[in-house]
Amino acid sequence: MDSTEPTGTKAVRPTKARAPAPVARGKHSWLWSLAVGMLILGVIGAIPFQNDIAGLILWTNVVMFCCLAQSWNLIGGFVGYAAFGNVVFFGIGAYTVAVALQHDVPYAIGLLLGVVISAAFAFLLGLPVLRLKGHYFAIATLGVAVAIGEVVEAEGIGGPGGEASLPAPTFGGLDTNTVFFFAFVTLSALLLLGTTWLTRTRFGYALVAIRENEQAAEALGIATFWYKVAAFTISAIPTALAGGLYAYWQQFFNPSGEGGAFDPSRSIAMVLMTFLGGAGTILGPLIGGIIVEYLDNYTLINFSTIHGPLLGAIVVLVTIFLPQGLIRLVQELTRAPVALEGPEAAKVSYIHRIGEGVRRVFRFIASQGV
Amino acid sequence: MDIGNILIIGVLLGCFYASVGLGFSLIWGIMNIVNLAQGALLILGAYVAYFAYSLLGLDPFLAILVSMVTMFFVGWLIQYIAINRVIRAPFLVTFMLTFGLDLLITNLMQQFWTADIRSITTSYSNAHIDLGFGAIPLVRAAVALIAVLLTAALSVFLTRTRIGNAILAVGMDREAARLMGISVARIYALTFGLGAALAGAAGAMLAMTLAFQPSNTGTYTLFAFVVVALGGLGTPWAALAGGMLFGLVEALVGARPETVGLQSAAAFAILVLVLIVRPSGLLGKAFYS
Repeated sequence: MDSTEPTGTKAVRPTKARAPAPVARGKHSWLWSLAVGMLILGVIGAIPFQNDIAGLILWTNVVMFCCLAQSWNLIGGFVGYAAFGNVVFFGIGAYTVAVALQHDVPYAIGLLLGVVISAAFAFLLGLPVLRLKGHYFAIATLGVAVAIGEVVEAEGIGGPGGEASLPAPTFGGLDTNTVFFFAFVTLSALLLLGTTWLTRTRFGYALVAIRENEQAAEALGIATFWYKVAAFTISAIPTALAGGLYAYWQQFFNPSGEGGAFDPSRSIAMVLMTFLGGAGTILGPLIGGIIVEYLDNYTLINFSTIHGPLLGAIVVLVTIFLPQGLIRLVQELTRAPVALEGPEAAKVSYIHRIGEGVRRVFRFIASQGV
Repeated sequence: MDIGNILIIGVLLGCFYASVGLGFSLIWGIMNIVNLAQGALLILGAYVAYFAYSLLGLDPFLAILVSMVTMFFVGWLIQYIAINRVIRAPFLVTFMLTFGLDLLITNLMQQFWTADIRSITTSYSNAHIDLGFGAIPLVRAAVALIAVLLTAALSVFLTRTRIGNAILAVGMDREAARLMGISVARIYALTFGLGAALAGAAGAMLAMTLAFQPSNTGTYTLFAFVVVALGGLGTPWAALAGGMLFGLVEALVGARPETVGLQSAAAFAILVLVLIVRPSGLLGKAFYS
């Protein structure tokens, strides 16, 4: 507890004020998160009815990045392992679909193959790299992504120099852009459900335990290494699916470089989005993905000359002044004072709660520096 | 290309890569920051040297000094204004912050100085000595020598001077150093300034031996990482060892027609292997972090 005694906690007995701080959250916060997430996706789902093709493509991109961030959240947010190379699964998914379609394999089989290969690759890659920690793990995964992209380019997989071109998709007369849009929205909704399920199961608790204290988790009998491998493999599956969808949707793509299937900045985007929304939360990656990707597009169109520096400045400001992410910021601002629960908590006015919350947030930001 | 030339190129390239990793290693070792803006600082240093040469007419070797001094102040400011504010946060936060700085600096450079490829070419750029088994390009040899001298100078500075010892002390135990009366915020700013100055030196040397453009920033950040992860943290000489290994691998892989274009893949393959077999690098100690 801080030395500055919060005002307005006179109702609390002094002994109780010193109790360890439980996070006072609603009993059904997961239900709220899920409902809000589904509502957001539902609103986004109405976009194709506007008949605005540019808007549809923009939002397909936005939802795709939401899916990527949601997948990254499994390993980066829950387990707390900063994987900076998850784009490799996206690329593998995309290139498997490309090669499959070029050999007249049905699209569904191609997608499935991409998922299987990605998951197998994640498992085999995880065995060595998940023994590394912190920066080393981050850069080893990043290195693998860059290296695989380079191999694809040098070996000419999918086309000369890795420049893949796919046949035009047909879905029985349906508008292809709309089909891919809804495919991404469905994937995002499934990820939302999956993440919610994760926060309520033994498996999910084990992952969070590893994030909070890996040695303690091991001591409690959690097979930490295999849980990490499992989380890494699971996070590869939706990433590969998104890659496979992206491949057929785009029809033409490069392995590396700006916007390439193995472009490391895709990995960075996943991290930034999850981080902005709130790592390890149900809603965080979805909200972060929408904000970052939409802002990115908006500034690119309206302020194209200062787009890059603006994005950099936003990242800098977010990391300094919003280190806990948007979701946790809202939770901090609205939660009841510590040690008050039940009917007593309801007595505290909202203005007071938010005032306390603002002070807490400022203290937190100040505590990050030297 | 015969093996003599490949070895010469590899060693000279290795020394240059060591200078790329040197500042990165210092910042990482002392502050536990993986500075993703290192490549941006390096290219910024290359621009400073380029303009010192083309606008002020300075000799490129003098421009190295100008670049180092300028970049020291840039780095000092960055640490004081921004990074010191999040230094206690989980490492992902500093990761994101330095990535944002990288975006900011890279894009500003692109904005002001365009995406043109530039390099410093002087009357003696192509001079070389023929040794029979291979030729030594003189400018590259001088750059390699400067890189080794910088490594030695940093090592002496850290171990033999009061300020250097203060930097090491803060790296070992921040709180204990604070209790000894060391101002941690100032030492951190100084450390980042030194790291940026070393990036400035590497950037100036890059401008003299190769070419540069704003979009190269990510590549050099990666190079710095590979060098430091290969060599290990804890002493400037580790960066030299890592740089050598990386330079030789690049020269060997780049010389064979069937493996051209796979240089970074090879470097990363070796990196992952080294990390798995010996996570603290070739010469690293479990000293900082």
